[in-house]
Amino acid sequence: MTKAADARRSGLVDRTFGLGEHDHVCWQYTAPGEFRERARDFLADGLARGLQVWYVAPGAAADLVEDLHGVEELDTGLRTGAARVVSLDATYPVGTVVEPVAQVRAYAEATEAALAAGFAGLRVAADCTPLVRTPRQLAAFARYEHRIDHYMADRPFSAVCAYSTTEVDDAAYAQLACMHPGANSHLPGFRLHGAGRHLTALGGEVDPGNEELFALALERSDPRPHDGLLVVDANGLDFIDHRALMRLSAHATDLGATVVLRTRWPGAAALAHLLDLTNVRVERAA
Amino acid sequence: MTTTDVPAPGDFVHPAVFYGSDEEYLALLVPFITDGLAQGHPVAAAVPGARLRLLRGALGAAADEVLLLDMEVEGRNPGRIIPGVLRRFADAHPHSHVRIVGEPIWAGRTRTEYPACAQHEALINHAFAGRDVTIACPYDTTALAEHVLSDALVTHPLVWGATRRFGSDHYAPGTVVERYNLPVTPTADTRGLSVTTTAEVRDARRFATAEAHRHGLPAERTANLALITTELVTNSLRHTDAGCRLTLWRDADHLVCTVEDTGRLTDPLAGRHPVGSDRQGGRGLLVVNHLADLVRTHTGPHGTTVHAFVRFAP
Repeated sequence: MTKAADARRSGLVDRTFGLGEHDHVCWQYTAPGEFRERARDFLADGLARGLQVWYVAPGAAADLVEDLHGVEELDTGLRTGAARVVSLDATYPVGTVVEPVAQVRAYAEATEAALAAGFAGLRVAADCTPLVRTPRQLAAFARYEHRIDHYMADRPFSAVCAYSTTEVDDAAYAQLACMHPGANSHLPGFRLHGAGRHLTALGGEVDPGNEELFALALERSDPRPHDGLLVVDANGLDFIDHRALMRLSAHATDLGATVVLRTRWPGAAALAHLLDLTNVRVERAA
Repeated sequence: MTTTDVPAPGDFVHPAVFYGSDEEYLALLVPFITDGLAQGHPVAAAVPGARLRLLRGALGAAADEVLLLDMEVEGRNPGRIIPGVLRRFADAHPHSHVRIVGEPIWAGRTRTEYPACAQHEALINHAFAGRDVTIACPYDTTALAEHVLSDALVTHPLVWGATRRFGSDHYAPGTVVERYNLPVTPTADTRGLSVTTTAEVRDARRFATAEAHRHGLPAERTANLALITTELVTNSLRHTDAGCRLTLWRDADHLVCTVEDTGRLTDPLAGRHPVGSDRQGGRGLLVVNHLADLVRTHTGPHGTTVHAFVRFAP
């Protein structure tokens, strides 16, 4: 896990308190009460930071309020409106396939509303398990997770997105986790997410063990060039093999763009050179 | 690999150039280069550094028209000479006869390197069969061992000497490929790991990286080792059913990544097909050849072992 003064948490995250205003963590949980405990930590910490906090989960609103009871900051927040509960059952009919653009817009509006109301930003702890039960739901939600992360990198919106192992298997979880800068599992191996100012970040390790997942993530995230350059902040990249680099190059070729890969890992430059990838420019990350 | 799968050369001309002095070197090679230039042929020379300086001096202004490469750098690993030097240059000039001076064997080559050098010379015939290319390979008859010169007669159909040119009666490159298909014995200080699934490729790479740190391999070379390990292990997992055994060991100036599996290498040019070729896949071993300082391969009916050597010094 890395943390600079103004940086977001990336890589393995093993707790939900102490996270910043832009952090976005994918949390795989097994025990029924685990999400509730992690959410209480995350949201109470958010209130202490002056954020408006939302607890989003399946179940009746009254039960969700009960989940938060017993933590002084949360009890106070529920009374003042600084803390809210949102029932997934009430918000999303069973089987809802999220529309990524609309979903991002909704949370962006909520964040801006929180700021307008005097909060330092918005923080959400959400059990998203019911929203990824089918392949269509999963694909759409993975696209949404990537898209919302770009917003979170720039604006004060932080979230823990939780998925239960009882319904979301490791393969599905990995598809979601790789779209987050932080996760409580090594499962995806890499992360492809927002880096602020429309940049895409690539971190971790991409190799034949997760190349299909990388291909899927690249297709779903669909990073777009600006002024002919597809800039990838790969400061957190520890390894990329030739297949994945060629895939990234091909994606850029399809868009008529040049990849600018900013990384400190010396293998990337060697690979780009020996593969004659003329549309991949490797720059040393600051 | 077998002795019978090397096609007869077509327009390809591949002489061993035997020289016994600097004067003979220049007398044989300068006209080869300048005649080529006069005919409008693209010309390259990839020779050891000292020879490069000698040639450059003798060529004078004509040197500017020749691609001059230091073979001790470009061809340190003989396995990358065909894709990275010879085919790279020849393929860039598909519509013209191309002349190349390629000197991959010099007196400083070690006993560990030599088998790969000899196999490389043999495989040139396979890689360029039918191509409108001339590759002249100088051999220093005063500095190289007798068996090296004997091998040159087997790997080259032609011999150019100071006084005469003749066809080699010993030309049979496949026999050299087989003769030097030799095992390499790791030192006692080895550490190993079995790998059976692609999910374990990451573990294999981390194991290799940890060994690199333990032995003090510099960061850039450690990145190369990580790539090499990933490619060799992946190659084994994709072409065999029984997984592979990864071993890291130190051999004097090198850290060696050895990957052993039950597969048999059937393409003698595996890892030597250039990036730009139309072949799908197969880039893993090419990456290994480019990044390693030496690759030795031993293949047989019971399996294949690839040893990739990475030097501690740049």
